[in-house]
Amino acid sequence: MIRSIYVALFIALIALPAARAAGTRAPAPIELPPLVQPASGETHPGKIIWADLVTPDLKQAEQFYGALFGWTFEPIDGDNNFAIALNAGQPVGGIVQRAMKAGQQRQPAWLTFIAVRDVAAAQRSALANGGKVLSGPREYAQRGRQAVFADPDGAVFAVLASSSGDPPDVMAEPGEWIWSSLLARNTDHETGFYRALFGYDVFDLPPEDTSDNSHHVILASDDFARAGIHSLPADTVHRHPHWLNFIRVDDAAAVAVKAIALGGKVLVEPRMDRHGGQLAVIADPSGAPIGVMEWSGTEEAQGASGDQPDLPGAQKEAP
Amino acid sequence: MSTAVRRSKTLKISLGVLLLTGLGACAVEGGGGYDGDVGVGVGVGYVGDYYEPCCDGYGGWGRGYRVGPPRGYGGGPRGPGRSAPSIPSGPRGGGHSGGGHGGGGGHH
Repeated sequence: MIRSIYVALFIALIALPAARAAGTRAPAPIELPPLVQPASGETHPGKIIWADLVTPDLKQAEQFYGALFGWTFEPIDGDNNFAIALNAGQPVGGIVQRAMKAGQQRQPAWLTFIAVRDVAAAQRSALANGGKVLSGPREYAQRGRQAVFADPDGAVFAVLASSSGDPPDVMAEPGEWIWSSLLARNTDHETGFYRALFGYDVFDLPPEDTSDNSHHVILASDDFARAGIHSLPADTVHRHPHWLNFIRVDDAAAVAVKAIALGGKVLVEPRMDRHGGQLAVIADPSGAPIGVMEWSGTEEAQGASGDQPDLPGAQKEAP
Repeated sequence: MSTAVRRSKTLKISLGVLLLTGLGACAVEGGGGYDGDVGVGVGVGYVGDYYEPCCDGYGGWGRGYRVGPPRGYGGGPRGPGRSAPSIPSGPRGGGHSGGGHGGGGGHH
């Protein structure tokens, strides 16, 4: 009997490390490029600084976004399933190819990365304010430290403490990200969550139309608008809360037409928005939603043209 | 107890330990993915791997529904009761190239 126990323990000693190693199967770390080159030394907590598309078909995504926005793509060393998208030679996002299991009812999406100084502190704040940690902090040599969370409504986003600093606050060029919106169910709760996590200044925006009963909030830091939080439209009760990122374009309607020709779909038809330009929401051929937004001229030029130079009804919320 | 019976018992115990070991390893390593309610992990090689829940259509946006940034000030101090700021509007310069969202205005 004692001999049997010895044999069993011996087998366990051999089997346990092997089983754990097989379960982990940790691949070599991906060599992500720095976010900013040369390093900026700037930090802008709360600024949205990156986005990754997770898709089952990398080549299809490259063809679509390349033709639509003029992006080019560079492979990542050590991972054939990862490419960096470039706009005029500057990185704008990552594209990650991952197989979708047969029969899996999931949707490809762009993952939004928000700047933080301390990922561990962000994780503590997320958990303390009703969020979930979907992927704990992980270090990437040149990129920095990042983690993926879900907010209290279930919208997924990532935080990144960039080791090269955050990009400077300048006007987006066409083909670059210009805006992000969170569409959520409980906007008050969501606003509190993101304010606690990133220290945002919060501004309530008045409805521009009496037919709109939704709640709109602007999140700001460094005296710049960083993102909006918006009630999910009343007729989209089945749509899960999510982040939606917008690329600056010269002509949203033309981009929407082109998206269809390239195998995508138009989810929200081109429409005028509060900034005085058109925006639209399209889906790439894999179904991932992405926004496109016009933004004409500088603030000075826009003010001179008389297009909504200010929104006097938008008031900062008390902390 | 015969030798055959002892061997059989040893074999059973060993198999049991192996089974428990395997299950234990799976429990340890299997908990790091994305929550099924909000997304699903699709790989272990990169922290950004996920797919969103599917696929309930996008729906329509009412006439007054606005999601864009305001056209206001940006980058300057304002007092109490101030209006919402706008996105960054300054020109690119200073030798820094943006990364990803980095170059962009608004958030970016």
